[in-house]
Amino acid sequence: MYRLVPVPGESSFMGFPISCFNFLLAGVQEIWWNITYVDDANPDGLFERRVIGVNNTWPPPPMDVNTTDSLLVHVTNSIDKPTTLHHHGMFFNSTSWMDGAEGVTECGIPPGESFDYVVPINSSGQWGTYWVHAHASGQYVDGLRAPVVIHPPKEVHSYDEEFTVILGDWYHDEHSVLLNKFISIANPGGAEPVPDSGLIYFAQNASYLPPISGTSPSSVTSAVGFNENATLPFEPGKTYRLRVVNTSGFAMFFFWIDGHDMRIIEVDGTDVEEFPIDMISVTVAQRYSILVTARNDTSSNWAIHANMDTDMFDTVPDALNPNVTSSITYSSSASVTDNGFVDEYSTVEDTLLVPSDKINPPPSTQTVELEVLFDTMDDGTNHAMFNGITFNSPLVPSVFSELSLGSNASVASAYGPTAFVLNHMDVVDIVIKNGDAGKHPFHIHGHKPFLVGRATDYTSDDPTLNPPISDNQTNPVRRDTVHIPSMGSATLRVVADNPGVWLLHCHIEWHLEAGLAVQFVEAPLEAQQQASRVPQVMYDHCQTLGKPISGNAAGHASTTDLSGWRLGPYQQQLGWHAKGIWAMTGCVLTAVLGMVTVIWYAMGGSISEEEMEHEVKEELDRKARLKGKLFGVFQSGNRS
Amino acid sequence: MGKNLFSVPIFFIVFRETLEAAIIVSVLLGLAEQIVQEDPDRISGINRTPAVVVEDSNDKGESGSDSSPTPPDAVFEDDEVQRKRLIRKLRIQIFSGAAIGFLIALAIGAAFIAVWFTQASNLWAKSEELWEGIFELIAALMIFVMGITMLKMDRAKAKWRLKLQRAFRNSTVRDGEAQSGKWALFILPLITVLREGMEAVVFVGGVSLGQPATSIPIAAIVGLICGLIIGFIIYEFASRTTLTIFLIAMTNLLLLIGAGLFSRSVGAFQEHAWNNLLGADVDDAGGDGPGSYRVQGNVWHLDCCNPEDNLDNEGWSVFNALFGWTNNATLGTVLSYVFYWLAVIVVLIFMKFNEGRSKFFGVESAAGTRRRVRREKQAEQTNEINSASVAI
Repeated sequence: MYRLVPVPGESSFMGFPISCFNFLLAGVQEIWWNITYVDDANPDGLFERRVIGVNNTWPPPPMDVNTTDSLLVHVTNSIDKPTTLHHHGMFFNSTSWMDGAEGVTECGIPPGESFDYVVPINSSGQWGTYWVHAHASGQYVDGLRAPVVIHPPKEVHSYDEEFTVILGDWYHDEHSVLLNKFISIANPGGAEPVPDSGLIYFAQNASYLPPISGTSPSSVTSAVGFNENATLPFEPGKTYRLRVVNTSGFAMFFFWIDGHDMRIIEVDGTDVEEFPIDMISVTVAQRYSILVTARNDTSSNWAIHANMDTDMFDTVPDALNPNVTSSITYSSSASVTDNGFVDEYSTVEDTLLVPSDKINPPPSTQTVELEVLFDTMDDGTNHAMFNGITFNSPLVPSVFSELSLGSNASVASAYGPTAFVLNHMDVVDIVIKNGDAGKHPFHIHGHKPFLVGRATDYTSDDPTLNPPISDNQTNPVRRDTVHIPSMGSATLRVVADNPGVWLLHCHIEWHLEAGLAVQFVEAPLEAQQQASRVPQVMYDHCQTLGKPISGNAAGHASTTDLSGWRLGPYQQQLGWHAKGIWAMTGCVLTAVLGMVTVIWYAMGGSISEEEMEHEVKEELDRKARLKGKLFGVFQSGNRS
Repeated sequence: MGKNLFSVPIFFIVFRETLEAAIIVSVLLGLAEQIVQEDPDRISGINRTPAVVVEDSNDKGESGSDSSPTPPDAVFEDDEVQRKRLIRKLRIQIFSGAAIGFLIALAIGAAFIAVWFTQASNLWAKSEELWEGIFELIAALMIFVMGITMLKMDRAKAKWRLKLQRAFRNSTVRDGEAQSGKWALFILPLITVLREGMEAVVFVGGVSLGQPATSIPIAAIVGLICGLIIGFIIYEFASRTTLTIFLIAMTNLLLLIGAGLFSRSVGAFQEHAWNNLLGADVDDAGGDGPGSYRVQGNVWHLDCCNPEDNLDNEGWSVFNALFGWTNNATLGTVLSYVFYWLAVIVVLIFMKFNEGRSKFFGVESAAGTRRRVRREKQAEQTNEINSASVAI
């Protein structure tokens, strides 16, 4: 799978013949990513904007890795803010600091600095479809995202050829601009920025498929075909594996292909038994592999549909086309058959999927309940909360707290108000209850939990709507990103076998920024045994960025003192408080004073009837005289 | 319900204007009787150099014509019957004048309000809060003036008596024709009632703009009836003291409403600014609770008791109309409420001082000095008379 020929548009640096390294450094695939801004990218053909790319190109190159290799990503940060790379779904067993979650596992790579991410694919026992993206200040929404495909020596399912289908929503404004509008007192309802368009593009063998010949896409991204300009070449009779990955910041996609049947064979890196389906729903960060058998006739090409779920959008602007189409090409001379609309969207019932590698989860030893809530907070902005607490990135990355706090590392409060400490090899049922009106994709780092149950209404007593979780589960599906509809819940069973600190969050980037996250501090004492393996450069980066590297979340050697760390905002406390009571008292007091003045004015110092009449008469006389004078002047003026 | 069918400010405005008109009409009635008693010729048309007589009595007349001499009863036996007939005739004139004035005012008022609510309502439909704020501000200021001048209404009787006498006299003198005196008693109440009616229309128009049209009729009719009843009671039975107490109560109620309206107008302006800030997302911010109001500058917010909740306001709208209650108070609404009352206090203190009824840190106003001098003079005169009588 190693690339031997430089991909057009990429720097020669990137296209360096890696096979040489392979020969020298057996078992390590090295990739050099220089993270740069790329101006005037226009993948949707509607708007040119600055994006964050790699080696001055966009989109960032796809990664293809064999499970026999370890992946080593040399990252240089050439943008003007700290960045990170998160290999989504990878375990990083006992090396949590490689996870790339800014604020939790590292401080971020400062501008101009470099860092080597080691992804121990050869030891993690993971293969399938993943993706890599920035996990710092929403940079992946600005473009820093790419698919990662990991190939085992032998695939469970057999097929002739494979493609990666990359879906993504696309904004014309930069994330930071939109974020300022989103978390703002002008947006108390928390309406998320609506994407300006959707993207679909394809990759194979670590490079993107070029546009259909004859089309003339925008020059910056001219090497890659998007949407109508992109197509999948199919040959009759062959069976294809399509790895569908949604790299969106916000939107869920519904994906189907006209004239072709689909069978799900992989979900978030877990091979599953073939599951026929007409349409798949892919939330942000989810992946599915589907098998598609090509038709036997080449008389027509067929439309590929990827429709954004507009139910998630506050409004659907007139200018937005939420329905993205691409095509499967059998013959370049044939026309595309597009069956257009579907009657109804349907979501994948992932609990019905059966993993090929059968594992029965151990019974749970404890339960953590997390209830999702959004509200306008006491600063007037809208934020998200788990159990009523909005997440704030700690000042000290939690991994470094875990490694530096000694025996205090087992105290959850040291990591801030939204952390749970798990003992090594605990089996935890994490129940995520979505009390919000919207649907959310929840992702836990460092694990691929068993999805042991779902409720359609977690508040219900009805066992059909809110079934009890059985301890004895038979091979439930395992996935790292789980979709939970409004008022529904999902129970994730996690075996705490991965010392470190792992974030659980909504993968809608707006919601992560709005605080919809918690941390799981896993096996702190076991993690500390690995402390010496942390690259020194990570601490240097923190110091470059002016952040502390030890102590609790606020940098103090304490389990409770979080001073200097700005938490909140908090939920509003409505009702009568001191301020209101004082104000009300003031209002009543001045009103009473005013009324007393009215009484005082009307009473006392009175004038007798006679005096009153005299004064009125005087006043009237005065007026009459004035009038007479004016009249007289007028008359005399007339005479002369 | 309360807010939609009964507008409290409109009730009070109509009530107040009716009361004033009633007082004027009652003064006129009394005046007519008085004129007939002392000088029937002016009305009946017999030329007996009337102007001089009236003028004399007025120039002297500290306490009107009560002290002036009446023609001796013995002169004409028929006079008594004739006078009664005359008085009845005059009363009919006055009442018909008042009735016609009222009808004209009603017609103009109805037309005015109809035009407002059909034509002008388009004007503020777009930014309702802004208009509501402007109208509430106008209403609050009007009520301020009205409430404070109302306190002087115990002097209205005297004022109107003199004014009408003068007007009546002028009309007869100037025309030199006896017929016009007859018309004066028709035209004066007509104009008076019309004037008060138009005033009421303007006030009602100003206040009602922020409110649904359905809230006007009942409030106006009830205000009218109450005004007439109270006006009659005051005229027939009440002493000046009871009138004063009544006026105090009324003024305080009016000012409570006015302060509430002022505070609400500030609230409406802030709401308008808030809606502008939200822009397209304004729909999301309805109702109560987090997200429905601006946190910055908020003083209290209750997740209940919303007077603007048309479905379930449980009487909070009445509380709102009377006292300006809101479940969402801001610095602006609280301070405006307080400052309205402070303005009332300052103005009243100044007025009482200016009228010479109170000293301010020992300083006396011109009117006060005049009155004191006059009192002292009178006291001297009585003393002189007393001492003179003692000397005799």
